[in-house]
Amino acid sequence: MAEQQAKWLSCAEGGAGSEPGSLVRFARLEQLLDWGRANSLWPLTLGLACCAIEMMAAGAARFDLARFGAEVFRPSPRQADVMIVAGTVNWKMAGPIKTLYDQMLEPKWVIAFGNCAISGGPFVFPGQYAVVEGVDKLFPVDVHVPGCPPRPEALIEGILELEQKITGTRRWPRVKTA
Amino acid sequence: MSPGHPTDSSVSAAAPRETFVLNVGPQHPATHGVLRLKLTMDGEYVLHAEPVIGYAHRMHEKMGENRTYVQFLPNPSRIDYLSAMHYMHAYVCVVERALGIEVPPRAEYIRVITSELNRIASHLVWFGAFLLDLGAFTPLLYAFDDREKILDLLEAVTGSRLTYCYYRFGGLCNDVDEQFIEGTRAFVKHMRGRLGMYHKLVTENLILRKRLEGIGVISAELCRKYGATGPVLRGSGVPCDVRKLEPYSVYPEFEFDVPHFAEGDCMARYKVRMEEIAQSLRIIEQAIAKLPPGPVMAEKVPRVIKPPPGDYYFAVEAARGRFAIRLVSDGTEVPYRLKLRTPSFSNLALFGEAARGLLMQDALALLGSLDLVIPDVDR
Amino acid sequence: MNELIEQLKSAYAVLVVPARADTQAAAVPAVVQPTDPERRGCHLEVTVTPAVVVDAAQVANRFGFAIDTITGIDWPEAGQMEVVYDFFHPQHRLHLVVRTRVPRDAPALPTIQDVFPGANWHERETHDFFGIKFIGHPDLTPLLLPEDADYHPLRKDFTNVSRSSN
Ligand code: SF4
Repeated sequence: MAEQQAKWLSCAEGGAGSEPGSLVRFARLEQLLDWGRANSLWPLTLGLACCAIEMMAAGAARFDLARFGAEVFRPSPRQADVMIVAGTVNWKMAGPIKTLYDQMLEPKWVIAFGNCAISGGPFVFPGQYAVVEGVDKLFPVDVHVPGCPPRPEALIEGILELEQKITGTRRWPRVKTA
Repeated sequence: MSPGHPTDSSVSAAAPRETFVLNVGPQHPATHGVLRLKLTMDGEYVLHAEPVIGYAHRMHEKMGENRTYVQFLPNPSRIDYLSAMHYMHAYVCVVERALGIEVPPRAEYIRVITSELNRIASHLVWFGAFLLDLGAFTPLLYAFDDREKILDLLEAVTGSRLTYCYYRFGGLCNDVDEQFIEGTRAFVKHMRGRLGMYHKLVTENLILRKRLEGIGVISAELCRKYGATGPVLRGSGVPCDVRKLEPYSVYPEFEFDVPHFAEGDCMARYKVRMEEIAQSLRIIEQAIAKLPPGPVMAEKVPRVIKPPPGDYYFAVEAARGRFAIRLVSDGTEVPYRLKLRTPSFSNLALFGEAARGLLMQDALALLGSLDLVIPDVDR
Repeated sequence: MNELIEQLKSAYAVLVVPARADTQAAAVPAVVQPTDPERRGCHLEVTVTPAVVVDAAQVANRFGFAIDTITGIDWPEAGQMEVVYDFFHPQHRLHLVVRTRVPRDAPALPTIQDVFPGANWHERETHDFFGIKFIGHPDLTPLLLPEDADYHPLRKDFTNVSRSSN
């Protein structure tokens, strides 16, 4: 009996006991939920500046973010899972963005898309008076996607990265650079 | 149909007339970025509209004063990222004017070709986003598909998809190749066909026409008082285009019309932009046919850019209207003052007056027809 | 076109601040100067005293000009701030610039927003950046800067803003 139990447990953990590739799998509910979440990340429409156009391009015909289940851009923070901060955040906008972040329901993630969202980008110089030097000053950031602007492919990679962070496994093999 | 305006006699006189303030934005899908609108509403009707801006202010003018002329080169393309080429054009031209540099003709021709390609790309984004505002999703996918074709061409010569930094003081950073020329030729042909399809698919659509015709009328006088330019002014019947009126670059060598429609409603502005795509294609075709050989960089460009002291001004026709730079130089390597006059700022300024008395959804159609880029408003 | 410039010139030549007996101030005429559009980008530059900017704007309005922009330039050495009004013409190739200077320690001049309502935002922006007061302006709260901003970043002596939340 105890043996059986141990086997069950290790199955649930996805440990040595589970049969690889089998159709029926046992997992913790939490893992199942994570798997579901990772495959349908709904982003919040938060286009702030230039990077927003690349975010739109990622959702449009050629790059087709829908392949990764992340094309459902929601204008309401209550319905969104991930906030893609695409563009420059200045101190006048910092308050509203913070409010939006607080309004999102748990679990929630943040992708800082573009140099501006990561660090203030090209607008940082000694004595600058307007720009927030990175949205991680306002709330925690999960994935940073650098570029000015990053290409739409980079956003897709960022989404895959986030999926990996949520589920622990990567859905797509990493592209090897020569 | 919506019920009549509450001033109708159908509403009993005893009913209190209450107004309320509706806040739209700064994060709202209809405002295309971080614009905030304070609307005083009487039921569904806008009594008073006040745009609140500054949520994307990025200090471009201050940055102009604390770096050298060359170091400022990446900035103009980030003011209005949808018409980056035009903004670069204005910036390099104002410095060239101050220094008295002659640009070789091949460089100017390529500047015109890339600028016009950029104008088409910008209008395509507007086309998609505007129809999205009106509730039509599909055109966006078509428009972005065509836009990607332009981006492929421009990326091959400039190295970037959006924020081009391709022009230099005195010319261009590199020449275009045969592939670009061939690709552009093919694109012109392709786009002509697509434009016909857009007209069939969208322009003649009855629902669209009902939503745009007679809505949000802006008079030419209102444009003049607010300094609105570009398709907004041309949609009010004034054929004002910097390319024709104060010709710069090699535009006088091309034949093209300035589309203008007298109605002043959202439909007129829609038609102006669609017609402008066709005109841009015409210009590109002529420019490619006439493209002269030669260098793409002027010979005598000083290593250190130090314009003589003075005050210089240069205006170009960007996709959204008149963009101008006023450069005050004190003879050093750093500009003394760099004033950026952006079209979206003036075009948005008249929204308050133009939206008065409109239904809420018509006001948003009007807003979309102004084609705003918020960082262009805020700089 | 040239005719129009001549008419403009004579219209501006009569813009004179009358002499004032109480302060012994002499009459100040507007200085009208044609410029080379190829070199400078404008056709006519008019320099006036701050007291007559409204009249100057009215002349521009009469000639059918549209407001292009308003901006400030800081000249700390001279102890002055310059306000530059740009007007373009929707029908002709014509660009008009009106300049005026105000003292730097108390920069103030009348608003032209009754003539060109579009000047409202341009003046607010100039107030944001330079702290120049436009007398008679209905609302000078910051436009591009945060609502509570009390700094004027484009003044040459501006250094930094301290932000407690940073
Ligand atoms: S990172 Fe670059 S492209 Fe993105 S918003 Fe900032 S300036 Fe624009």
